Amino acid sequence: MTNEHTPCGRMTRRGLLANAGLAALGAALLPRAGRAWNTPASSVALARCQSYDTGLVPTLAKMFDQIGGLGRLVKGKTVAIKINLTGDPDGRVGYLPIGLTTWTNPTLIAATIHLMGNAGARRIRLLESPWKSVEPVQEYMAAAGWDSAIFTSAAANVEFENTNFLGQGTKYIRFPVPHGGHLFPAFDLNHSYEDCDVFVSIAKMKEHQTAGITLSMKNCFGITPCTIYGDGAPEDEPGLVPLGGRFPIHSGSRQPPKSSLPEIDPNSPRDGGYRVPRCVSDLVAARPIHLAIIDGIESQTGQETVGPMAKHVTPHILVAGINPVCVDAVGAAVMGFDPMADRGKAPFEFCDSTLRLAEELGVGTRDLKRIEVIGARIADLVFDFRKAGYPIPREVPDHDRPAPPAKKG
Amino acid sequence: MSPQIPDQVSSSDKLVPFRWPSAWTDPALLRLFAGSPINCLLFESLSAAKPVVDAARAAGLTVLEWSSLGAAPLAEVKWNSTAGQIAITGLAWPRIKLSAGRSAEVDAGPTGAPWIDSNSWVAQLAAVRAPRRPVWLGFETAKDDPVPGAADYTIAIADSAAAGARWMIRLDDGLSKALAAGDARAQKTWRSMLAALAFFEKHRGWTGWEPWGSVGILSSFAGKDEFLGQETLNLAARRNLLYRVIDRSVPASHKLDGLRAVLYVDNDSPSPALKTKLESFARAGGMLIVPHALAAEFSGEKPIECPVAGYDLRSFGKGSLATAARDWDDPFFLAADVRSLVGRRYDPFTLFNATSLWEHFSVAPDGRSGLLQLVGFTSRPNESVSLASARAWRSAALYTLASGAPVVLDPVKVQGRAEFHLPDFSYYAALEFRS
Repeated sequence: MTNEHTPCGRMTRRGLLANAGLAALGAALLPRAGRAWNTPASSVALARCQSYDTGLVPTLAKMFDQIGGLGRLVKGKTVAIKINLTGDPDGRVGYLPIGLTTWTNPTLIAATIHLMGNAGARRIRLLESPWKSVEPVQEYMAAAGWDSAIFTSAAANVEFENTNFLGQGTKYIRFPVPHGGHLFPAFDLNHSYEDCDVFVSIAKMKEHQTAGITLSMKNCFGITPCTIYGDGAPEDEPGLVPLGGRFPIHSGSRQPPKSSLPEIDPNSPRDGGYRVPRCVSDLVAARPIHLAIIDGIESQTGQETVGPMAKHVTPHILVAGINPVCVDAVGAAVMGFDPMADRGKAPFEFCDSTLRLAEELGVGTRDLKRIEVIGARIADLVFDFRKAGYPIPREVPDHDRPAPPAKKG
Repeated sequence: MSPQIPDQVSSSDKLVPFRWPSAWTDPALLRLFAGSPINCLLFESLSAAKPVVDAARAAGLTVLEWSSLGAAPLAEVKWNSTAGQIAITGLAWPRIKLSAGRSAEVDAGPTGAPWIDSNSWVAQLAAVRAPRRPVWLGFETAKDDPVPGAADYTIAIADSAAAGARWMIRLDDGLSKALAAGDARAQKTWRSMLAALAFFEKHRGWTGWEPWGSVGILSSFAGKDEFLGQETLNLAARRNLLYRVIDRSVPASHKLDGLRAVLYVDNDSPSPALKTKLESFARAGGMLIVPHALAAEFSGEKPIECPVAGYDLRSFGKGSLATAARDWDDPFFLAADVRSLVGRRYDPFTLFNATSLWEHFSVAPDGRSGLLQLVGFTSRPNESVSLASARAWRSAALYTLASGAPVVLDPVKVQGRAEFHLPDFSYYAALEFRS
């Protein structure tokens, strides 16, 4: 199985990359900031959803209909879903299950699988790169108290893969970044990101200490295998197991093994606020997202993982669409932020905007004036994350401070 | 190895040992032990400390000379000695290791969990090699270690006691001098140590409960198998993988009932009797995990999809056989593999906010009560710890070092499952469940 078809059958991955090459030629004639005007815009479904109970499936079904229907996206296809299981599985904000605060909620994932199964998906694969681990994803879920049977019983042919290493594949797949990328020219990823027809990102609506916010695009930071992009990766070849986190991407403290392409400019800034948003925008340009879903029914403010700044909140919001930049722009707006904001302005006080950088790569527009919002109105659903959170100081985390110059190789 | 139980064991089991600092020459310092649980003083030389020794005896304390204990590092312990107890020295001070990182963060292993030094595995191994004999553990601060505070002493006591052993308490030089000088802060530390000791002595009956594990870790734990066997015990505990120690050289420990899986660590073939027992275990539904070197000795049946790379998993009667595709050389990864091969579905509890907690679970002789002990390795309070239980217990009583009496915990229904939410506690908590 290769990624020969995009969800609507309009373009193969190969074709996409070829077109990306042509686009790059044209784009090269324009300064990056000037490319935003013609970036794709697509409709975004926005809904209020009170809980993960009985109202969830009909709400989600209606949203999928509003953006063109799941059938044309997934029928007969292999669907890969990147979920967000960041941090330690046994961590909790207070006594709350992690799916109510930090991780994508399991009921939302199961509901999505159920609807995709009904819409004719041939195979559905749940992907995540558990923190520094080669554990099967199901076991990682079990450590959080999840029973993976709720996913396997939601549709036929549901599978799991830990993509933090080679996993069930025989080789890593190289994904070039169209237009050359901001930070990396290409990424070497687990085969699961190639062996699918449809790629879906289901994210949690959260603030992020490094990137300001973490939505459907930032969720894809975790598709990078730590055997290549992690602290403990060997110098020459990918490691067999992930031995560290992704701090080298944050800090630029080292380059990937020689078997992978190094970053474009090893003299670029070494701070996480510069690097992480660029890496994320490169990733979503290289591995396009066909369906983006943001779980904002219940979440947390303050930080992206379990920790002292995290506070449980209940925005009661769901966002979905086929363009992740558009979806994240609407997501940012309902969190009380201006999606056109950039470094220096909330939520990007200490970082560049992933939205702007992805827009510059031609992934999609962040301009709400160009995005049709279907269902609820943004103004009616705004949940101000900053007001709802603890009064915490906004500062650069330790791991995002500039590191010494990158080593070669 | 055929363990013998010396006559003096029953009396030794009541001894709570303390290593008398050689700098303490004043018998008046025995006042520190008045009314305390400590009832056994260990001296380097009885003759050199005669005034203190005489006064201690007069005060009703047991006095022992260090050389009489047969104390030795684990590899040199004489398990068949006639000493009243097994005394093991050269162990690590139980603690979370600090790194020299940018923000003085704790060391984290490849799992992200903090690196914890604990001696509980030593106590478990000793309990198998010398059943029903008191196990005394010897450790002290190393030269470059941070100076231990009250929290460190309490954790050190709890780490040994939760595993059914006792620490041969040894004060660091600073505390020893300060206590002798009557320093108020040192006395506070001393009182907190005595309170912890009193708690564990009060609940000494718990040491008679049978340690529960889903996995049996089987090795000789000696010679060429010493490193891999012992470190696998250590690192399995760090993954909160509850296990039972099975020592190849102790036939009495070859009980496989109740286990879900057995890890056969050593490259040497098992005895014919043990091999038969292992095969029967797998045929009856258990999982047997064997090293690459024994691939030819154990033949499975139909291949099964294996959740862990590097293993050939096959059906074996009603159970399964997992054979390593290559030699094991790193206990960290071996423990991780076993954790994934066995899975969490047999775990009696799922713990939350418990990254720096060490878990012990034992079952009362009548099988109707369970005891979950949690040892916390940080000086900060353990906040918002919760657990989901696989078994529906009728009640749970929470014991902490700070509370005089147990507190009844009612289960809380969370997303269809019963959970117990623990109030904040420091260093140690025990939950006694009744069915």
